[in-house]
Amino acid sequence: MYKVIRQMTQLKLQAPLLTSAPAASAANLLAFPQQTTTTQNVHTAATGGLCAKWNKNNHGPRKWLEYNKTVHPPQETNEEPRKAYLCHMRSNIKYSPDKMWYIAAFVRGMSVDEALKQLNFVLKKGATDVKETILEAQQMAVERHNVEYKSNLWIAESFVGKGRVFKGMRRHARGRFGRVEYKHCHYFLRLEEGEPPQHYYMPEPQTPQQQYEHWVEQMRSRKVINSL
Amino acid sequence: MSRNLFLSITNIVKYLERMFLTNAAPPAPALAYIVQPHSDPHNSSFSLRELIGDGILWAVPKHRRSVEKRLNRKFGHPDYVWKPLKEKRNLRSCLQCGNDHEMGVLCPHCYAKVRDETQLMQDKIQAQLGLEPIEQEVIVLYEGETTATTEEQQGKRIVEMKKPRPMWFTKNLLQKSTQQSSNEIKPTNLG
Repeated sequence: MYKVIRQMTQLKLQAPLLTSAPAASAANLLAFPQQTTTTQNVHTAATGGLCAKWNKNNHGPRKWLEYNKTVHPPQETNEEPRKAYLCHMRSNIKYSPDKMWYIAAFVRGMSVDEALKQLNFVLKKGATDVKETILEAQQMAVERHNVEYKSNLWIAESFVGKGRVFKGMRRHARGRFGRVEYKHCHYFLRLEEGEPPQHYYMPEPQTPQQQYEHWVEQMRSRKVINSL
Repeated sequence: MSRNLFLSITNIVKYLERMFLTNAAPPAPALAYIVQPHSDPHNSSFSLRELIGDGILWAVPKHRRSVEKRLNRKFGHPDYVWKPLKEKRNLRSCLQCGNDHEMGVLCPHCYAKVRDETQLMQDKIQAQLGLEPIEQEVIVLYEGETTATTEEQQGKRIVEMKKPRPMWFTKNLLQKSTQQSSNEIKPTNLG
């Protein structure tokens, strides 16, 4: 039941995004209706192992989205305004979590525009899911989380979790059998308002000047023990 | 999981039973049965290889993978093969459509637009003229266009497209660059 609702919400979110994407041959399609042969895919999410019928107890991760519901206490007037943030995720993407990790690590610490631009040129299957997730999150941030400019966001957290794993068998030569794992992953994302930091990972790499100052400080703080 | 595995295990168990449980008393309902001289199970040359077969190695890890090996697998080496994704610095926005493309590559969006239009023209030509060899030139006209002179119409075949001309498809684009024609289209006459 919940899976069906989630799929419907995802479709609703993606539909305005997909229609707004610039279609190169939109004018042509309008003027010259093409005969599109719709190949009906029998193996969809609604019919496979992830369908609602088989997943009454498998609800997937829920804690990440709870962070969106926290109500912060009102701030003092002299305090700096808290940066708006938004947690979003997509669960049970049909992709290996180890492979998705490369894309999630790539996108960390980038501004949203830069991430979307770069993801267009990442030739990996998970890149489309990550791109769609970022676009959804951007839209939600503007509509529901009081973010003024949709470009003023950066990716504060981006990581992957293990999803459902379906096991299967495949045959090898000489009467041997191998195990096949159909892996899924969850992709988690947190967007924060503002400019992205220069260095995402701590400690920041130090400039030669900073290294020199640090060394001088170390040298000057030496003490000769039992001296005057 | 594999048939060989199951058979091998049952063989081992049976062998061990024969080796170690011959001292026990015979089973209670001891019916009269003919004791057949069976082959001596205590072979002097006992080899595991014969028993288990080729599966002796079983494809298990022999040692724990060290953290250096794990990190090498995950990250590769910056000088040889770097596995994490690298940011592309050669992306530029197309001046016509505004989408991004790699430097030195035709904008895929603009190219797709031109390719779709070409496909439509080719389909129309094929539908109208079939697959006969084209000995005469073909002129493609859009809605509301006519050829300038009847002299042009004589030697050429006309295919009419039932749609307005796209804005980006100027008349000079179908000019032949190798042949000098008298009616060259000037820049003022593009539309």
